[in-house]
Amino acid sequence: MTLEHKAFLYGGTEDFLSATVPYLESGLEREQAVIAVARAANLSALRDVLAPHGDAILYIDAAGFYEHPVRTLRDYQTLVRESAPRTIRALAEPVWDGWDERQTLEWIRYESLINVVFADSGASALCPYDTETLPPRILNEARRTHPVLHTAGRDAASEEYVDPVAFGSGCDRGMRSHRPAGADYLPIDDSDLHMLRAFVGERAGKHGLTGQQAQNLVTAANEVAANALQHGTPPVGLWIWQDGPDLVCEIGDNGFWRPGPDPLTGFIPPESALQRGFGLWTVRLLVDLMELQAGWDGTFVRLRVQCAAPDAGF
Amino acid sequence: MRWASKRPAAAYAEPIPLRPDGQAMETPWFDKRHVSGVRPGDHGWLAYTGPEERDRVIGPFVREGLETNEKVVYITDVPAEHLPGLQPRHRLDVDALVRSGRLRVISRQDACLDRGGAFEPAKMADTIGREVDAAFEQDFRAARVTTDYSWLLHEPGPAGLRRMLGCEHRVGDAVSPSTMAMAVCQIDSRACTPDQLIALRDTHEVLVEVNPEFYDGILKIVRTFDPDGLRVEGELDAARHSVFAEQLSRVRPGGSVHLDMSGLGFIDLGGLHLLAKHATRLPAEASLVLDHLSPNVKSVIETVGWHRLPGLARGRELPETEGIA
Repeated sequence: MTLEHKAFLYGGTEDFLSATVPYLESGLEREQAVIAVARAANLSALRDVLAPHGDAILYIDAAGFYEHPVRTLRDYQTLVRESAPRTIRALAEPVWDGWDERQTLEWIRYESLINVVFADSGASALCPYDTETLPPRILNEARRTHPVLHTAGRDAASEEYVDPVAFGSGCDRGMRSHRPAGADYLPIDDSDLHMLRAFVGERAGKHGLTGQQAQNLVTAANEVAANALQHGTPPVGLWIWQDGPDLVCEIGDNGFWRPGPDPLTGFIPPESALQRGFGLWTVRLLVDLMELQAGWDGTFVRLRVQCAAPDAGF
Repeated sequence: MRWASKRPAAAYAEPIPLRPDGQAMETPWFDKRHVSGVRPGDHGWLAYTGPEERDRVIGPFVREGLETNEKVVYITDVPAEHLPGLQPRHRLDVDALVRSGRLRVISRQDACLDRGGAFEPAKMADTIGREVDAAFEQDFRAARVTTDYSWLLHEPGPAGLRRMLGCEHRVGDAVSPSTMAMAVCQIDSRACTPDQLIALRDTHEVLVEVNPEFYDGILKIVRTFDPDGLRVEGELDAARHSVFAEQLSRVRPGGSVHLDMSGLGFIDLGGLHLLAKHATRLPAEASLVLDHLSPNVKSVIETVGWHRLPGLARGRELPETEGIA
């Protein structure tokens, strides 16, 4: 069962409803599991028009659903799994405001990943893009991440669509920023990572992460360090520093990873903990951003967590 | 309060913890100790679930005493060579131990029954007092006393329990102030009701359990018997996966295996993989049940989703009312 993944470039509420209402209703006719994830204003417009269908449609506010791309992929996958044997028909309107440059890039990548993660789900997704408010760059990227465009009541193949693997490698190119000379450093030369957890936990607490964030970072750093010890080449070490409101933790080893990480590494939700890739996928869930860089000088995994209250002390 | 001497004076200055509804919380006042940690003055309690658990507590209690110039007093009608720690496989010369006075196996009749064959608590206390005094005169550095009370509860009516409680108070009075006596009172937990168990347990200061299977300062693994499984405390990481997997594979009950995770503050992702892998090896109907998950461990599991851990089941939740040890 193949995926149908369409971008819908619309202008204004009337136009929005003209395509989304029949889209959702046709899902009900086909006895699909029908979900509408949209921003508050669009969501309430949909609820009004589709009121006769009662609770046959699951309405979700995009603001709470689009907080972290890897978690959103996981949550959509949960919906797909829990709806089986019915397939999913989802109206999926992401949130594009409030992100910094890097976060925006990750949400664009997320749209591309949908094509891989749900390739065999039989799901249908219609992603509305508001042409009146969204910046041109977001609209352009939508054409590259969706194989089909829906405009003026018609579907057409997107000529600018880019394969997700190629798209992902484009996202990762040259993204690693400078590591400050004053970063705290811990050499990792012992297979016992107890010290590392204490080291990371203490700095996370000092930086003001919540208990849960700190614990998640500790689990993530522990996993990456265990991987480096198992697969990497000594010396292995950990750097940790503050970058604006973020706490950044980087684990590096001297290994030369060839052919290097797949651009999809850690993005595809595994079936179970028994599957390869479970560790890195979970690391991506636990932190705000995980960046992988395999170069001539070693393999580096950078974990980034934003302080819950960014205004405190900055 | 005879247990007063066991508690640091400062403990009394601390306010009594309150429950959210403002009621004072009942704080357990006993210590939990593994059997090798039992020391003079301990009036210990072992409610065992079966012979395996009993032997793994009383066996070391008896043998460690015999190995270190302590006197061992076992009040029982069971022949010495059938007692925990003294069976032929332990290769001890039981007769020689009895002749030298290091091992005293005293019949119930001699230790605690009156002429009519009825249980007499005062006599039990006298017997223990006499044996401890004798051990002191014989220059033993300590005396270990143990007996299994389960037979008393087979008597119909509440009389058996009442006399046992009376006895336990007297034994406690004899042992607790002592600098050389230690006692472990055994009971088959299947022989009495939960209420009886709690009443009896509360006459003791120390709950005695098996020695940990593994402890390295970071991770502690303790075998549990009711339910069958392991208690895991501390932190489980890659350096400790193999020892944990080995201990897990040694638990072989017919059904599900329970892990008491209340004391586990950290599990790495490889540890979750290991649990799921072990669960696939269990019989089809059985699962690996995770009881009392700490918030940290629970959060990681919920992040990845329980369905990604096939064969693992959610067990009892924290916080739990105090169990019966």
